[in-house]
Amino acid sequence: MKSAIKLKVNGDDHELLVSPNNTLLEVLREKLGLTGTKQGCDLGACGACTVLVDGESRLSCIMLAVDAVGKEIITIEGIEENGHLDPLQAAFVEKGGLQCGFCTPGMILTARSILNEEARPTEETIKRKMAGNLCRCTGYKKIVEAVMTANEQTGEGA
Amino acid sequence: METKFNVVGRRLPMHDAAAKVKGSAQFTADLTLPGMLHGKILRSNIPHGKILHIDTSGAEKLPGVKGVVTGKEIPDRLYGIVPKARDEYALAKEKVRYIGDDVAAVCAVDPEIAEEAVQLIKVDYEELPAVFDPLEAMKEGAPLIHEGVLNNTSFSIRKEFGNAEKGFAESDFVFEDSFFSQAVNHAPLEPHAALAQYDSLRGEVTIWSSTQIPFFLRRNLSSTLQIPESKVRVIKPKVGGGFGQKIDMFAKDFCACWFAIKLGKPVKFVYEREEVFISTRQRHPMYITVKTGVKKDGTILAQQFKAHADGGAYNSTAPTMIALSCFFLMIPYHVPNLVYEGHHVYTNKPVGGAMRGHGIPQARFAVERQLDMIAERIGVDPAEIRMKNSIHAGEPHPAKFIINSCGFFDSVKKAADAIGWKEKRGKLPFGRGVGLAGASFPSGVSNMSHISSGAVVQLGQDGAVNVLSGAADIGQGAETVISQIVAEELGVLMEDVRITAADTGVTPLDPGTFGSGVTVRAGNAARLAALEAKNKLFEFVARKLEANPEDLVAANRKIFVKGSPETGMTFKDAIKGYQYADLPMPIVGRASWFPPATEPTTLFKEDGNFAPSYSFMTQSAEVEVDLDTGRVKLLKMATAHDCGRAINPMLVEGQLEGSVVGGMGQALYEDVIVEKGQVMNPSFLDYGFPTFLEMPEIETLEVETDDPIGPFGAKEAGEGTQLSPAPAIVNAIYDAIGIDFKELPVTPEKILRELEKKRG
Amino acid sequence: MRLPKFRYMEPKSIKEASTILLDEPGAKILAGGTDILPNMKHKVELPSVVVNIKKIPELDFIRKDNGVTRIGPLTSLKKIYQNESVKAGLPALASAASSVGSYHHQNMGTIGGNICQQNRCKYFNQSQWWRSARPLCVKAGGEICHVVNREEICYSAYSGDMAPALLALNARIILESKEDSREIPLETFFSGDGKAPLNFKRGEILTEIIVPEGSSRGFSSYLKFANRESIDFPIVGTAFWASTGEKEYRVAFTAVDRRPLRGRDVENFLNGKDLSDEVREEAVSIASKAATPVKTSVYSPSYKRNIMGRLLRVAIDEVMRREG
Repeated sequence: MKSAIKLKVNGDDHELLVSPNNTLLEVLREKLGLTGTKQGCDLGACGACTVLVDGESRLSCIMLAVDAVGKEIITIEGIEENGHLDPLQAAFVEKGGLQCGFCTPGMILTARSILNEEARPTEETIKRKMAGNLCRCTGYKKIVEAVMTANEQTGEGA
Repeated sequence: METKFNVVGRRLPMHDAAAKVKGSAQFTADLTLPGMLHGKILRSNIPHGKILHIDTSGAEKLPGVKGVVTGKEIPDRLYGIVPKARDEYALAKEKVRYIGDDVAAVCAVDPEIAEEAVQLIKVDYEELPAVFDPLEAMKEGAPLIHEGVLNNTSFSIRKEFGNAEKGFAESDFVFEDSFFSQAVNHAPLEPHAALAQYDSLRGEVTIWSSTQIPFFLRRNLSSTLQIPESKVRVIKPKVGGGFGQKIDMFAKDFCACWFAIKLGKPVKFVYEREEVFISTRQRHPMYITVKTGVKKDGTILAQQFKAHADGGAYNSTAPTMIALSCFFLMIPYHVPNLVYEGHHVYTNKPVGGAMRGHGIPQARFAVERQLDMIAERIGVDPAEIRMKNSIHAGEPHPAKFIINSCGFFDSVKKAADAIGWKEKRGKLPFGRGVGLAGASFPSGVSNMSHISSGAVVQLGQDGAVNVLSGAADIGQGAETVISQIVAEELGVLMEDVRITAADTGVTPLDPGTFGSGVTVRAGNAARLAALEAKNKLFEFVARKLEANPEDLVAANRKIFVKGSPETGMTFKDAIKGYQYADLPMPIVGRASWFPPATEPTTLFKEDGNFAPSYSFMTQSAEVEVDLDTGRVKLLKMATAHDCGRAINPMLVEGQLEGSVVGGMGQALYEDVIVEKGQVMNPSFLDYGFPTFLEMPEIETLEVETDDPIGPFGAKEAGEGTQLSPAPAIVNAIYDAIGIDFKELPVTPEKILRELEKKRG
Repeated sequence: MRLPKFRYMEPKSIKEASTILLDEPGAKILAGGTDILPNMKHKVELPSVVVNIKKIPELDFIRKDNGVTRIGPLTSLKKIYQNESVKAGLPALASAASSVGSYHHQNMGTIGGNICQQNRCKYFNQSQWWRSARPLCVKAGGEICHVVNREEICYSAYSGDMAPALLALNARIILESKEDSREIPLETFFSGDGKAPLNFKRGEILTEIIVPEGSSRGFSSYLKFANRESIDFPIVGTAFWASTGEKEYRVAFTAVDRRPLRGRDVENFLNGKDLSDEVREEAVSIASKAATPVKTSVYSPSYKRNIMGRLLRVAIDEVMRREG
């Protein structure tokens, strides 16, 4: 039986009809049309579905939508500022930290989560905390460069 | 190499990078159409059997289910990416041949109901004996997997160049060694998907598909659905990685179209990750034996190569794969006498197909490992032995390859220097070591039909340029590279170029993304099309400037007489003037480019130049073996790559870096583990390919050679680098702990076992 | 893969949660969700009711009273390894928490959830379709174990990272139900039965983890060997606690048996001795026989036993190094 819940996504409140067994990923993609968050494996092992929940990175494919009520959810669509790329996004573009782009939203949100936690993470910390996000195209090198660049440019965790 | 170009050679972000970082780039599963239905496939859970009866009533009765289809209802049309290797139906007819084989499909109002419905389909099988090893499958009495395919061997190739027997006789040493290369899954982050829609009035089906080969897909759909090609439109949205796994039609493509046609509604299929692991494609496991004859100084005189490829249940690219594996033994080293025997053998397991390198990584592993072992046995340095045997540009070739540019010799030196070869090889403490391995790869193929690429370039009134190209960008940046080539030719900037690509209803023909030929084929087509448009414009400008068209130059949005950039006019003004001179607008240039082939060959029958150009590379690796656990840490890999000229160095680096980590996965981490025909690790958790924390230090070194065939001298950079990281790493392991591994992957367990044997 | 259907409840108190568990035999607890939700997608866990306990207040805490460390079950793994007192006094716990899965799993996952995770096996943690190629296994409700081919006995491996560290630290837990509350050594919580690995009484919820005062005096470590440095479950995990002053030692393993194991033979050998190369090697040899793992994953049992000893060697070496 579906029930009505209110979710706050990218600063906007949405009233949605969901079933308890709908994951947050399903609701974001299918009910809100926010397809920037991707389904790579649906079991929490690749990070393509990463979103921010109260500023902290989470795997939306293994979260119930009903469990996200009362939280601030940010998806990749909520990162840009008035149509302009934020420094992290710009760094990914400039440094070539992406190829096919499928893992990219997850990468950017995870990097954002890391920068929310500490202002100047070391390269080691970045690698360790991003290791839950898989990429098959880039070999990771340019992604690390992009995050380090954003790190330097903004100084205080963007 | 100094760049004398304005756009080519620049490190530019991909033209769609902004969309990708914003999350607005649309992949197939992101697309929705009103009234869209969702499909799911029922798969065989036995490795081999006859389909006696399929009861779909349970599924049909489930509320929300709109359609069910089995192999019985679909046309009797076999399909395959290689026409002469067609052996697959979109949905199995009469027999299933592996756990994962497509048996039936349902279509429902939402994915949850579709999943439920699939469970309700009952299939009665008569289970047949199955065979899981290619060497067993070739034996007398083995279960027959495909009717009429003797010894389950669907393709064999045997070729001889020169006189191997004589070569061996003249050798000072002859060595024979056997190797095994394992099943690897491409594991692109985006699962396979398709969305189809049907216009019943015009009888036209449109399909958006995560594919590398829109035009081949169109052909296969047309044939299996029995609709004219002109009534099938394939559009490629953004693709989240392919690496070869999205070459081929899959059940999702066929069934999406099938239901769209039957039901008049759009239908979407998205594979689960498990389906990608089990029911798409993988790299062929191969058993290889190499016999090599050398002189005392390491000069290779003869080689005999025997390979058995475990094809799985269907052919896919079988003949091409096995031929590539063969032909690329004669490059990058001189092998004056070669006998090659390769067999593609069916087994009741997941299907082997094209995977980055396509048959060559396996062969390269064997050859490069053995070369190191030979070097050790005869007392020659492994880097020296490679340089000694290196091919050079312009030299005659046993199989008549035309090698216009070759940076192999330099690549060995560069890779060796970058890893500190002289100071480290044989000199590091026990547990640390360095190794290297070389390779070569075709930049597209000459020896195949239907390998021409077309492009149309239109110059717009405001100075913008529109490009139509059939090229399939799967994330490697093809569209960006083509845009750069066009921009360079026309003398405009990258941001002036708009590209529409990979839509069979709109863009010209292109074979697709495989064989690492996109930059060369589609790039050349685009360049020629741009040239044609430019020439029309130049004719007009020449008259205006009272100059000769041959003396004009286009650069930085201007057209001027060579040597006098202050004179001339802007690109925009030139077009305006052209228009006002009542010359026909828009200014269009079009071209097709077909790789030069002096004689038509299909590889199997005759020799000839295989590819328009060849890339060359060497990888060097430094490893550290944890003697407590057997884990190998790849500390650093340097890759020296001759790709002619890099159209976009940043994108080339991206290809090299990705290939290095992919090769490392193949060497140390990845294995599709199959037990009685069942894949045991069909998930990202259990099929553990490398994460950020496994990443080595990567150094990419350019070896520029400026090839005459490639657009602006470019050659391939997408696949070559994934040929030899594995042997480079395993060669380094030998240097570290003195153990020769001849099977991939080299796991911690295998290392500990060998170390203990060595001690005890 | 869609989740199966279930009823969803958000109790506001332990009593309420316990009542649901008592009334609904098919009810299961949802904490971080990183274990139960993938299992539900695989349809190996099919709760009738999912009880989200994250709305129950005061289950998320780390306190130190008189040297005793008390941790709430809903404390995230991240909070555990970021906590200064845990880092200083119970380093094995911090290491274990930071080794679980990936950064995301550490944000979402809780210590209670990690302790109470379901056992794992390569024949069990697979989709419903995948498992249909074989007869249903014991753990999934059938009659045969595909690992050991014996009926009725499930050999799935306990694979959590927190439990061995907690065992080496002599942890105790509090289990509360509507009617009752009991405090037990963590060790007795694990049944050793692969099919039902946890000794919950009906209606019980894990409400507190207690590490005694003595455990924060002494050295402790948790070493995890896995296929990759992130995301993966342990192939072998070894926890070690040592008080060289008292010559007292504790060893625990995970992923080598149906429950996390204290290595009592190793401890009996080490207790009362000073660490030395010879003592270490003998301990390592005993450790390699401390369990008989079976092939629930793709690694062979003999390799796992090997690694058990080797990780212990690394742990002991570290203690010896610190002692100078």
